Amino acid sequence: MTISLFIEQIINGLIIGSMYALVGSGIALIYGTMRVLNLAHGEFYMLGGYLVFLLVVTCGVPAYLAIPIALLAAFLLGALIQRITIHYLLQREGWAFSTIAVTLGLSIFLQNSALLLFGENVQSVPYYVTGIVEFAGIRIPMQRLLILGVAILTIAVMTYVLKATRLGWAIRATSQDRDAAAVVGIPASRIYLITFGIAAALGAIAAAMMAPIYAITPWSGLPILFKGFVVVILGGLGSFPGAIVGGLLLGVVEAVGVQLTSTEWRDVIAFALMIAVIWVRPWGLFGSKS
Amino acid sequence: MAEAPMLQVENLNVLYGDFQILWDVSMTVGAKEVVAVLGPNGSGKSTVLKAIMGLTPVRSGKIIFEGEDLTKVPTHEMVARGISMVLERRRLFGAMTVRENILLGAYHRSVNKDIASRLEWVESLFPILAERRDQIAGRMSGGEQQMVAIARSLMSRPRLLLMDEPYLGLAPKIVSQIAGIIQRINQEGISVVFNEQNVHLSFGVSHRGYLLESGRMMLTGTGEEMIHSDVIRRVYLGV
Amino acid sequence: MFQPLRPWQWLLVAITLAALAVLPLLSSNSYVLHVLILSMIFGIFASAWNLVTGFAGLKTFGHHAFFGIGAYSSALVALHSGLSPWLTIWIAALIATVAGLFIGLPILRIRSMPHVAIVTLGFAEIVRITISNLQSITRGELGLWGIPPFESFTLPVLGEMKFSPADKAGYYYLILVLLVFSTGLITLLMRSKSGLALVAMRDAEDAAESLGVNLTRHKLLVFGVSAFLVGLAGAFFGHYIGILTPSAAVGPDLMILVIAMALVGGLGTLSGPLAGALVLTCVVELLRDLNDLRLLIYGAIIVIVVMFLPKGLATLGPIVRRRFTYLRAPTTSPAKHL
Ligand SMILES: Nc1ncnc2c1ncn2[C@@H]1O[C@H](COP(=O)(O)OP(=O)(O)O)[C@@H](O)[C@H]1O
Ligand SMILES: [Mg+2]
Repeated sequence: MTISLFIEQIINGLIIGSMYALVGSGIALIYGTMRVLNLAHGEFYMLGGYLVFLLVVTCGVPAYLAIPIALLAAFLLGALIQRITIHYLLQREGWAFSTIAVTLGLSIFLQNSALLLFGENVQSVPYYVTGIVEFAGIRIPMQRLLILGVAILTIAVMTYVLKATRLGWAIRATSQDRDAAAVVGIPASRIYLITFGIAAALGAIAAAMMAPIYAITPWSGLPILFKGFVVVILGGLGSFPGAIVGGLLLGVVEAVGVQLTSTEWRDVIAFALMIAVIWVRPWGLFGSKS
Repeated sequence: MAEAPMLQVENLNVLYGDFQILWDVSMTVGAKEVVAVLGPNGSGKSTVLKAIMGLTPVRSGKIIFEGEDLTKVPTHEMVARGISMVLERRRLFGAMTVRENILLGAYHRSVNKDIASRLEWVESLFPILAERRDQIAGRMSGGEQQMVAIARSLMSRPRLLLMDEPYLGLAPKIVSQIAGIIQRINQEGISVVFNEQNVHLSFGVSHRGYLLESGRMMLTGTGEEMIHSDVIRRVYLGV
Repeated sequence: MFQPLRPWQWLLVAITLAALAVLPLLSSNSYVLHVLILSMIFGIFASAWNLVTGFAGLKTFGHHAFFGIGAYSSALVALHSGLSPWLTIWIAALIATVAGLFIGLPILRIRSMPHVAIVTLGFAEIVRITISNLQSITRGELGLWGIPPFESFTLPVLGEMKFSPADKAGYYYLILVLLVFSTGLITLLMRSKSGLALVAMRDAEDAAESLGVNLTRHKLLVFGVSAFLVGLAGAFFGHYIGILTPSAAVGPDLMILVIAMALVGGLGTLSGPLAGALVLTCVVELLRDLNDLRLLIYGAIIVIVVMFLPKGLATLGPIVRRRFTYLRAPTTSPAKHL
């Protein structure tokens, strides 16, 4: 293999990794603020894909309009799901398990609802942009660069929201100490609702960007959920910046690993990495122990 | 008829599961008063304050603050009613800076104005916090963290401040500093209720005290009256 | 829960067992037997999962790995070595146990429930993908077929025990014996010192830990037994069904089915997972024509049970009883003044 091909693979790994980062950061946000492990997170991704497909392919809406609409819809769906399930479970004993169980049920339910609604045919969306960028013998399709660009933009916006807005402060405060946040006047249940919505929207952004290159099926959420889990374990469960770095790292490790073995072992590489990290650093590669 | 006290707790009963923690607890706090709630570890002091603040559900009883029953008011609305709290063991937002912690004290819309003058006021009480503004709160010493916690609770300019064991785990020098702050706060017209396990610490700055034992209010009176009471001797000295 | 049974409970168990034992003599309808056989396979699986999740408080989501390991090990050993399935199911159960201890050790180091959930899910995915990728050995998704059935033998009263698709009585009695064995083992384990320590500490792990009780050894034992039983159920499943695919024997759907069963019956009870397995297996069969809706309904059942019947069908008991007593005695004294 030539050096430039190798570099191309690394760059591709980073690009896919940036999508893992978006999905993982949604899982991390939900876990970070309300300590809920959302097994239905992959379905936000899957439904995001179908929303974009419906808008772009079925209704002919231009992508730059379709994607924001899909985001909004995913936000509302996430918030609704939180409000009618997690919201009540968090007020009961044994919520750590019951929330996992309920999101598992939701995941199956949403998957099979999609199957009923959209059938099992593989769907896809045309490229948003065409063309290939060539530089020093490295060739990257524009579509993939667009993915990277959108990922960077999304991460920048999220970082700004968390660092510098009233909402972001409320999210960070609630995730660090729910009672102390309530005492200063932050309503935890509203923050949870919004966080769930934001996380769902992050999944939908990833789905929208991947729609042209990865197939949309009722089952496309499950593998991406597993990737998201690996990402949050690498980055430390509940850490937003950790999830970003974890996502990029996973993308690159997979790209290199696949070069060394073959494509069908991609997921095994990811999980093995995850179990190894849990074994030596259960709090994640970047976080600190406490 | 005398004017009703600022805070009036009547026959409060609190259970955790099937386990009753507070039994018919009653107490009052007047305007501009400092009240100590004294009691051994596990007697239910924190539970009293948490119940007032809405952090723990109340089975029965009344909590009347300035004429309004608080038992139906959610915790995050207490600031708007004029009540603030310093939780046990500080409970700062450990990964955020000192300044962010303090500013969050004025998060609620009803108090989210005149931030500059509020900041100026709390930093005049704790000048060191102005110097440490960019430090990560979780990395400070216990005494400094307690100051941040108090500063945060004051940003809403409450009329009633609840403090859960403000002296816990602090060096004697810091304890007297915090005691001085409680007096300063009180001079500004704020009523304070604080919990304490130690008899002498609790009566240092308070006008009045209550003795809580096993979830029951055993005694109330001025520090002088209480220190000499038989009940205190029995509870604390086992005689 | 694990006190010795009272006389009427013994009677109930005895009647149930007797009814199950004579059933094939009354009805030779192989469809009914098939449904009951599946219920019992899942009954063992759900009870063993419940042993870890409901009793030991380790919330795992990857037990389908042990089912698959059991199924494929027994099938492959029987195929290649010519050993009898009567022997290979036990070898397979031991292999599943080793796998259980292998993954049990790291997850016992982790106290956080979400980490345990993620690791166990990930482990099961590794197993599934590996089985699927090792096509030269397992034939991947094409399916491993030609798995030898159990050899038949003759019993004094019941006559010849055949193990064939047409005559399922043999399979029926064998899985019934395995179910009794598994339930007995679980009961014994939970009455042992390990079981008592675990149940006592289940909801207060930190407290237990601070009292200096080291639960790791007990938990590992329970995890190993659980993997053993699931592996055994999987091994039986392979020889019974005759063909294995990674998605049917190690797919996440399988775990979801079993979780639904345990939740419906009631997590943390002995009879709950068994009842749940029977109820849901029958529901699946009733919904056979609505095959597309099967998983949709499972998802909905899990959500509804978690939201409204947190203790499973057992939740309905007290509700019904309360109604009943209320109707009979409307003048019961009010709750103690509080
Ligand atoms: N969340 C809780 N669940 C169950 N019991 C609790 C909880 N919080 C406190 N308790 C119990 O309530 C009693 C009173 O606790 P607390 O109010 O914290 O006492 P104090 O502040 O006087 O030390 C103690 O016996 C304690 O064990
Ligand atoms: Mg206390």
